[in-house]
Amino acid sequence: MAALLTAFPTAVQAQMEFSLDEVDEEDAEPAKDSESQGDLIEELAAGDDDESGPAEPAPQREEIAEEIYAVQQIYALRLKRLEIAPSASFTLNDPYLKHYGLGLALNYWFTNVLSVGLNFIWYDWGTNPFERNTSFVPRIQDQFRLSVPINDWQFGLWVNFTYVPFYGKFKVRKKIFQWDAYLIGGVGLMRTEPIPVFDPAVRSFDWQTNVAFNVGAGLRIFLTRYLTFFTEFRAYMWPDQFENTQVAPGAARNDSSTWLQSGSSFVANTSIQVGFTLFLPIKFEYRLPK
Amino acid sequence: MMKLAPKALLRISILAALALCLVLGDGLREGAGTASAQDVQVSGPLAGATSVKKLRLWRAMRLHVEPFFAFTIGDEYARSLIVGGEVRFHFVDWFGIGGWGGYSVGQLNMDLTERIQSTGATADPNRLDLPSRERYPDQIGRVDWWSGVEVHFMPFRGKLAMFQKVFFDADLDFFVGAAFVGVEERANTEIQRDTITTPQYCTPIGANTPQDPGCLQSQLARSKRTVVAPSFGVSFNAFFRDFLGIALRWRGIPFKYNTGGTDNNNDGQIDSNDRLKQFNNMFTVGLIFVLPPKIKTTD
Repeated sequence: MAALLTAFPTAVQAQMEFSLDEVDEEDAEPAKDSESQGDLIEELAAGDDDESGPAEPAPQREEIAEEIYAVQQIYALRLKRLEIAPSASFTLNDPYLKHYGLGLALNYWFTNVLSVGLNFIWYDWGTNPFERNTSFVPRIQDQFRLSVPINDWQFGLWVNFTYVPFYGKFKVRKKIFQWDAYLIGGVGLMRTEPIPVFDPAVRSFDWQTNVAFNVGAGLRIFLTRYLTFFTEFRAYMWPDQFENTQVAPGAARNDSSTWLQSGSSFVANTSIQVGFTLFLPIKFEYRLPK
Repeated sequence: MMKLAPKALLRISILAALALCLVLGDGLREGAGTASAQDVQVSGPLAGATSVKKLRLWRAMRLHVEPFFAFTIGDEYARSLIVGGEVRFHFVDWFGIGGWGGYSVGQLNMDLTERIQSTGATADPNRLDLPSRERYPDQIGRVDWWSGVEVHFMPFRGKLAMFQKVFFDADLDFFVGAAFVGVEERANTEIQRDTITTPQYCTPIGANTPQDPGCLQSQLARSKRTVVAPSFGVSFNAFFRDFLGIALRWRGIPFKYNTGGTDNNNDGQIDSNDRLKQFNNMFTVGLIFVLPPKIKTTD
């Protein structure tokens, strides 16, 4: 997209009007021209800068040709509001193990398009990891005599920034709904635990904490000025340590220092999250420019 | 670690869902009385005004031609790289119908396939599943070509600003339809394992000859078929010129096929009963050319 934007620097000015700041360029030009037509208010405002003394009275404009559009206020401001967002999530691209999470996000909007917040997602529901997916892991063990190291997840905790570059509205019958799309990303931690596959009779593991990153994009639809529905795509990435695929011979088999792989593997998992957002305070006031 | 029985987990989930419904229902009911949608908020000079003026009609009575590149995601054994095209005609700005097609120009083996190739092991119990680990990539199920017809709905549109300098229109395209997919799988075969003293061999199903010792030939034998499946997805589209835009699309096409070329029901045969449900999905990047190139706008 960036390449395209570079290739087409004269991208079109879209024509939908949403906010006080947005005025169609073509329609705005006559307002600029009015400066040379002797607008009285502008002359009064500019009076202090005029060092050439009293000026000749400007000719009175005979006809006002300006067309003024009244523009709707932004439906719901996010500025200085706290966003509480419970959500449910499921992973997309892990063929070995499904992960289902329930999450809660708290975001504070310090501008109307930028927020910082905490996001917590819990994945460990006490079920047998192999019952959550499929028969895929035992199947590849039977069919290929092959075991694959896999890790379970306990929770993720993130500090995220959210940026809203896109917003718009859509109409359903006679109702107009607002939507926005946002980019989200941050850093945090991910708690994971290797599932003993290669030597389950001897090996057992504890949860380990990994520094993790996440990026994503989402779509939010305002049901009211304080309640929204959202869905988002997230990619979670972290260096994870898996079970050692080699079993040490002899007494070293019981040495827990040999149970994990020596290095870390970079893990990138994608997921879909769906939830609702509650903006607090529920009511807000516009500060109109004077 | 918190341990919950599946029944307890189910009860908690149901209670949580009910509580969420109550909260949301209350919020929506309250909202309906005060601010359920924007039209009741509009007063003064905007009361009764149209929601949008000079709306650019990117789609109404126009043809979209879109060459694209796509790749499948979530694959177990191999990822398909696809080159194709899509043609859509839109009767109104929010509805259209079209068709698409693509050809798999390449395959990327996944990590699991490479693991099988390097460390998989063959013994009598799994000889049908893995006759030779070195040739395993040749037995994987693949999709050779993709096509479909779909109806498209564009309920969301807006404009997008970058750094408050560059503006362009954008919309979301939801689509649903039918896909026709050319699948290539390992050919039907059957393993003969009557006695442990006789070396195992494969034959065509129901036949005694020709014998394929070790099933090595059957590992490479292929069969092709066309699958009809539902398709659906969503696309983000941005328009930079009256006739030019970009599309970022996700499309899902669930259907059954034997991805691993293995005896998944463990009946000693490779056949249609070994096909498993796969949620095949792909990500697409396309360039939209719009015809006629001249755009119309509303009042």
